[in-house]
Formats: sequence, C-alpha cells, structure tokens
Amino acid sequence: MTQWDILLQQVINGVSLGAMYSLLALGFTMVYGIIELINFAHFNVFMVGSFIAMWALVAMGFAGQSHVLHGLPLIGVLAVAFLATMLGTGILGVVIERFALRPLRNVSGTAPMITTIGLSYILYNVILLGAGADSKNYSNPMPNTHWDFLGGVTLRLREVLLWVVSLVLMVALHYFVRHTKMGKAMQAMAQDQEAARMVGIDVDRVVMLTFFLGSALAGAAGLIFGLYYNYTSYLIGYKAGLRAFTAAVLGGIGNIPGAMIGGVVIGLIESLGGQYIAVRWTDVIIFSLLVLVLVLRPTGLLGRAAPSKS
Amino acid sequence: MPNPDLDPTEVAPPPSMGHPHELARGHSWIPAILGRAKSKMLRPYVFGLILLAAVLFPYVDGNEGDIDAAANALAFAMLALGLNIVVGFAGLLDLGYAAFFAIGAYTYGALSSYQIQPEWSSFWTPFQWLGLVEHLQSGAGAGVVHLDVSFWLALPIAALVAAFSGVLFGAPTLRLKGDYLAIVTLGFGEIVPIVARNTPYITNGAQGLNGVTTPNLFGYNFGVLSTPYYYLGLALIVVLIFVSTRLKYSRVGRAWLAIREDEIAAEAMGVDRTRLKLLAFALGASFAGVTGTFYVAKLQTATPEMFMFPVSIMVLVMIVLGGIGSVAGVVVGALILQLLQSWFLQDLTQWIHALGNLTGIAFLQTVDLVQSIELIFGIILVVMMLYRRQGIIPERASVTALTYEQQHAMPSPQSVESDLVPLHRRAIDPHKPLLVIKGLAKSFGGIKAVDRVDLEVAPRSIVAIIGPNGSGKTTFFNLITGLIEPDGGKVLLAGEDVTGLKPHRIVSKGIARTFQNLRLFSNMTLMENALVGAHVRTSTGALGAIFRFQRVKREEEAARARALEILRIFGNRLVPRLEHLAYSLSYANRRRLEIARALVSEPVLLLLDEPTAGMNPTETLELTNQIRRLCDRGVTVLMIEHKLDVVNKIADKVIVLDHGEKIAEGTPKEIHSNKEVLRAYLGRTTGVVAAAAIAS
Repeated sequence: MTQWDILLQQVINGVSLGAMYSLLALGFTMVYGIIELINFAHFNVFMVGSFIAMWALVAMGFAGQSHVLHGLPLIGVLAVAFLATMLGTGILGVVIERFALRPLRNVSGTAPMITTIGLSYILYNVILLGAGADSKNYSNPMPNTHWDFLGGVTLRLREVLLWVVSLVLMVALHYFVRHTKMGKAMQAMAQDQEAARMVGIDVDRVVMLTFFLGSALAGAAGLIFGLYYNYTSYLIGYKAGLRAFTAAVLGGIGNIPGAMIGGVVIGLIESLGGQYIAVRWTDVIIFSLLVLVLVLRPTGLLGRAAPSKS
Repeated sequence: MPNPDLDPTEVAPPPSMGHPHELARGHSWIPAILGRAKSKMLRPYVFGLILLAAVLFPYVDGNEGDIDAAANALAFAMLALGLNIVVGFAGLLDLGYAAFFAIGAYTYGALSSYQIQPEWSSFWTPFQWLGLVEHLQSGAGAGVVHLDVSFWLALPIAALVAAFSGVLFGAPTLRLKGDYLAIVTLGFGEIVPIVARNTPYITNGAQGLNGVTTPNLFGYNFGVLSTPYYYLGLALIVVLIFVSTRLKYSRVGRAWLAIREDEIAAEAMGVDRTRLKLLAFALGASFAGVTGTFYVAKLQTATPEMFMFPVSIMVLVMIVLGGIGSVAGVVVGALILQLLQSWFLQDLTQWIHALGNLTGIAFLQTVDLVQSIELIFGIILVVMMLYRRQGIIPERASVTALTYEQQHAMPSPQSVESDLVPLHRRAIDPHKPLLVIKGLAKSFGGIKAVDRVDLEVAPRSIVAIIGPNGSGKTTFFNLITGLIEPDGGKVLLAGEDVTGLKPHRIVSKGIARTFQNLRLFSNMTLMENALVGAHVRTSTGALGAIFRFQRVKREEEAARARALEILRIFGNRLVPRLEHLAYSLSYANRRRLEIARALVSEPVLLLLDEPTAGMNPTETLELTNQIRRLCDRGVTVLMIEHKLDVVNKIADKVIVLDHGEKIAEGTPKEIHSNKEVLRAYLGRTTGVVAAAAIAS
C-alpha cells in the first residue's frame, strides 16, 4: 500500500465513523436547539439502542455471526431491526423527557443537566447489571462482502450500508424539519419558545417529538455501531457520546446540517489521527479541538441556527 | 416632622461609610430584625461536639479498616468542598473535577518519589542545601537526583499548580454559556488521565507511581497505618470548611451567588464575572490539589485509574445529596456516600442475601449492592433534582413570615429622612451636562435599533425617554450601560469617555440601572441583593475574606449600614424583610429592591427602565415622589416610562424615540403638542385627529 492508499483507506474508515457520530450528534443538537439543554442521557440512549437492536436480532434467530443473509432477506431483516430499535429508543427518549426532564423545564441553572447525568448513569448501570460487564458478540446478519481495489484499499459492504442508512435518515430528518408542519413548529420553538406558544404551538408535544426523533437516531447509530464493530458493551456510550457532542459543537450547536458535517470531521480526525499520530492521543486531539473551536469560533463551523436566548 | 423636601446640602451629614454605629441609634427595631440571624450562633457548639466525636473516633472504634475508610471519606469530603465552590457558589457545572485531584496528586507524587531522577549536576546543589533534593550515588558516575520535597511544602505547591491549571482550562470557556463549561471540563477530565498514562517518564504510566515519601512532622513519620492520616485529614478538612464558610459569607461569596443567580444582572451591578469565575475555578481546583497531595501521601502511590470520570461524578453526587452550595451539607453528603460504600453496603448485601435465603427469592440471594453503587448514584441525582434540589442540609434556612407587629412597627418614610446621607460622594459640576451622548448607534442585522441619538442630561435633573414599544429605548439603556457594544457614537459621563467599557467598569464610573423585566438575585436575601450593589465600592478579595482582617470587617459593616440606609428610603416596605429571599417579594417591592440595589453602588446617574410598571396608582405615586426626592439628593435620573402622568409630574425633560431615532425633545408640555410624537403614538393621523388629541 502506498501513502495515498493508506490515506484513502483511512478516509473511508473516517467517513464511516463520522456517519455514526453525525446520527448521534443530531440528537444533541436538536434537543439543545429547542430547550437549550445538554442531554447527557443521550450518550447511553445510544448504548441502550445497540442492545435493543442486538436483542431484536436475537429474537429473529440470529446469534453471533453464525447466520449471514444476502439480498432482499438481509434488507428486510435490517429494516425490521432498525425500526424496532428506533421505536424502542424513541420511546425511551420520550419517557425520559416526560418523567424526568419536563418537571424541570423551567428550572434555571444546572439542575436539568445534572438530572440528565443521573439518567445516563442509571441507563449505564441497568445494562451493566442486567447484561453483564463482558463485551457482547453482536448478532450480525451482514455478510463479509467487500471490494478490494488496486493498492489494497478495501471497501466493505457494511461501510456502504452505513453510509446509505445515515444518508437516508438525515435526508428524511431534513425533509421533516423543513417541510412538515411539526418540523416548522420545531424551528419556531428554537427561535422563541414563548412566541411559539402564543401562536398555538403545543410546546410539550414538540419537545416530546424532538426527544423521540433524536433518541431514534441515536438508536440507529447504536445498531450501526454493532454491525460495524461486531460487538457491543455497556461502555460504548461514553466515548462515542463525547465525540458526537464535540461534533455537534464543531458544527454549531443547534444547527442540524452542522451536526452532520461535524460528525464526519470528527470521524476523519479519529481515523487519520490514529494513523498519523497515535491512537492513544486521539481523545486528547479531539478535546483540544473542542476547546479551540469554543475559543476561536464559539458558534461552530456553520454557526447557530437560532439566536442565543440568554 | 421634618420637611420632606429637605435639601441635603443644608444638613451636611457625615458620610455614612465608616460610621455604622450611628445608624442603629434610636431604632430598636433594627436589632430585633437582625437578631433573627443570631439563632445561627448555636452552630459553633454543634460543630465542636461533632469535631470532638471525630477526634475520639479512632480510640472508640480501633478497627484499622474503619479508620482507613473514614480517612478516605475525609478526602472525598475535601473534594466535595472544593467542587462546591465551583458548582455551588458560582453555579458553574464542572464535570472533570477529578482532573485537578490528579494534578495535585501527581504534583506531590513526582516531587517526592524516585520516579524522576535526572543526572546529578551542580545545578542541584542549592536545592540540596534547601533540603528539596537528595544526591544518590551508586557506583561510578555523578549519581542521580532524588526529589524529596516535604509534604508540608508540597501542599501549597500542589494547590497552586492545580489552581493555575484551573485558570488555564477555565479561561477559554468563561465567555460562553455555562453549558459549554460542563462539556469542556468533561473533556479536560478525560484528557488528564490519558496524559498521565501516556507520559510514563513523570507518572510511571498505568503501573502508577511507587514509593512516594510519607509525611514527617517534627521527626514523627506518618508511616503506612491509617490513624495519623485520619487526623491529618481531619485537620485539613477543618481548615477547608473554615475557608469555604468565610468565602461564602463575604463580598466574594455574594458576587459568586449573584453570578449563579443572574450573570447579566451581576455584571450590570458591577461584578467582574470573568475574574470571579476564574477565582472560583482556581480556588475549587486548589482544594483538589490539596486533597490529591493528601491522598497520595496516604496511599504512597498514584495511578491514572484513580482519577477517571466516575470520581468526578461521585463528588458531584455528594454535593447534590448534601445540598448544593451548603458547606455543612456537602461534607455530610460526602461522608454519607463514602461510609455507605465502605461500611454499610457489604453488610447490607449480606443481610439481603440472608433474607433471600429465608424467603427463597432468587433475586435477593444474588443482588450485590456494592456493584450497584453507581446505579444508586444515578438514582440519587435524579431523585434529588426532581424532589429535593436543596439537598439534605439546604443552603438556606427558611424564614418565617412577618408578624403583624413587625410589619407595622416601622418608622414612616418621612421620619427616616431625618438622617439623610448623600447618595454618592462625587463632586459634580452643576453647570456642565452630566451625561453627553453623541451619535449613539446600534443595528441588529438590517434594523437600526438606535439610530445616531444625541442627548444631554443636566446634573440633578430627571430626563424621561418615551416612545412606542420597539422604538429602541431599552437598547439605548443597554448601550449606555455596556451590555451591548455600540456600532458608533460616544457616551461621556462628566466629561469622561465611557463608551464600550465593560458593564462592571461603567458601574464603577457611576452609572447604575434597573431592568424592565426585573433581574433580582431571586435566591439571595434582600440584604444580600443590596450588598451586591456595594461590590464596586468595596475591595475585599479572597484572602481578605478568608482572614477577615480588621479592614475587611470595617468595610463589611459600613457596606451593611449603607445598604440598610438605602433600603430605608422605601420606609417599611423592604426593611422588615431583610432576611427574606428576593423571590418572595411582591412585584412592587421587587421594583423597589432593584432601585435600592442600584443606589447602593453610589451612582451619579441612575437609569430606571419602567420603574412603575406593574404598580397600582397609589404605589406609582409613592415611587414618583421617591424618585423626585432621589434627584433632590443629588442623583441624576434617566428613566424610560410609559405612564405619561408620571412623566408629566417629575420629568424636567422628555425625549421621544421612534424606530431608533430621536424625534422630539423638550419639556413635557412641549412634547404634548408635538405633531411628530402624536404621529408616532397614534399612527398616520389627520390634522383633525391631531388637533383633537391636543385639545384633549
């Protein structure tokens, strides 16, 4: 492999990771855009999503990588798995919002954020105690299909799948926010909650919907994580969540296209940094970047979609 | 009965600052109210008893394991006290606090172990004389240096190093909203253990530091048993509790609380928020530095795993459980959680297993509570936030409502006027305009919110700004007070250019303001609210607050006396409620308190943004008279007001803003018949309508 092949390979890896971070970052950015809350529970909603997906696949008769599918059956099974997971985490997100965060909606200061940390800890430990501390061999119906190019660059089917699913979900979200009535209500809320309430928007419903969508996307990211790495564990939420959050800040928190681009940038930094610097410094690089962005350009690459309400 | 229109210059009273005792004279009701706070005097006895029990504990218990657990619990209580300064006092959520713990730990670890051993050279000789290093010789060669800094010296060094890193990492985020700080500290908390693991030269990487020197005190070596460390921890925590308490009830502590309650109002009242946030960060980190040193001396080792994210969260859970902002609370919270883990959970698990065996319930036989501790933490966080945000020991005791007698045993406003004091101590040239504004402008996008407005305000006059909603009046105030930076133009106060200064600098120059939608510090008492106003006129810093020098005591007393004096301008409206929290006040009283808070900062120019909004006609009349009297006592007033009867009654001059432009200026009478003004208020009117309006 030449230098360029290695670079190309790492770009492929980076974009794949980035697609996953983007899906996760969207949940942060949507919730922040609407109620200005950093939702730490989101970290582990993602982790729970990867478990729900695994259990869904187990329920459909898959265990480990014993049983691979091709063609339409594969698409069908994956579609069911994605739907089940996104519904599951979406409901989880709504439950969290309804019972733990709504009572604190108008409490100023650090209380709502501390609550989301507590929720994140609860999810983490429930899975740890319920499913055990060991890494789980993921039930994965994906075949190991891959295409080798000259120079040894490999493109695997699962990467292509990851890109396609992420792209479809993001386009769907974009369409939803821009062109549907509820989506426009979300945009209005992000601009001014009081004014939105006055023109008759049901604020509680919009917030709930936002949590549902954000958590559903986190669930999809959780399933993608399992399919991509072939494992899951109670630990995966923290690191991926932090990186996704950095992606959201990088793109401009509250800004939906920003989160998508930020995710890809973070994915590329992770893969290229790992290749050219050292894997053990990856987190240091990412967080230093976060601090730099906050100092030099606090509105992120694309800027905030809505004006700050403070 | 004194003349209500008394000219203060004729009385020529002594300045109130520095003469607090004169105030209480003849007002027996003041001590009665201040006496409510005296019930707290019981506290030293309680504290003494607890301390005595803590000192006797090792003799009573005698179990090495229990004493060790207690010493560790003290270390975490020290961490909780430090985090409480950042989260509790200043309201900044720090999720990477363990990083400072690590920095303190590795500072001592590296300075007094065999980890770093540079070649010996003459450079080290002076350090050897000072007893900071040892010269180790093994066979041939120059030998190596053994760093051997004393524990007692390492304590302040570690505190300083941690404080410095606190400033370094806090600084970039302090301009941003608090949420970002949480995430940056989280990242920082993540980075520090990684750096520790990846720099084995200093930290010995994942294996951890070995052979850290144990402390020595007058020839007594602390050794490896827990009891000496228990006492050391006890001594340290007493010091840290003392420091925390002194800080909390000081000028610095009040400024932190004000920032926590409302950053913008704090800044508009003269608090330099960047500086105070950094101070909170540095002090909080220094507590962690001290704790790290103590902890490493006790364990004689340090590994990166000791300082990971769960530690930061555990300390956060401790202060949430105990009571955010409450010194006693966070110590209790830390002790409960630590002792719960090390003393009770194992026993409790065994009891539950026994119960499971008795009842035959499989779940009870296998559940392990020690394993579930983090689940318990999560539940504590959520439940406390939802149902008891003030924690086990709340930061503030509740205040009982006033009795009928207390509400009415007050002097009337008129009798208070007898000991008039000047509202500021600045000589103002009565022949030059106090405030000169030239071409002040501000646009938001394409909208010109304030469009090249000129204004002159004569000293000791009342100027009213009127104009339809959205005409740029409040923006105009925000520009003068520095909350918004102008695009162009100048603001001169008594000839001095104050354009574009930070809000807290402008307050110190002598401009204070109130807000249209009331920005009081809701969870602070009336007295504390008023005292925040005194921030710019006082100077006590962190050291002064901790040591409480004579100068500091005098300054504090004088500030209180002055605040009381100002609050008495409103007669019996505010004074009986000194110890009440601001949120419990009625709407009109909140407006009065905001004016009082602004007056305590000794402004020469007072900006009032709709002072009578939400008041009934009687209250409006009362306040109108009070504003007039303030002006007579030397304060120049610039006010935004919608109630034209108020404007007509007290304004010497009126200016009218419309779409950011000044469309008219003159006496109230002139403004009444101005066609431009009528058009702005009533829309495009025909001459007939205008004439009718004038006629009415």
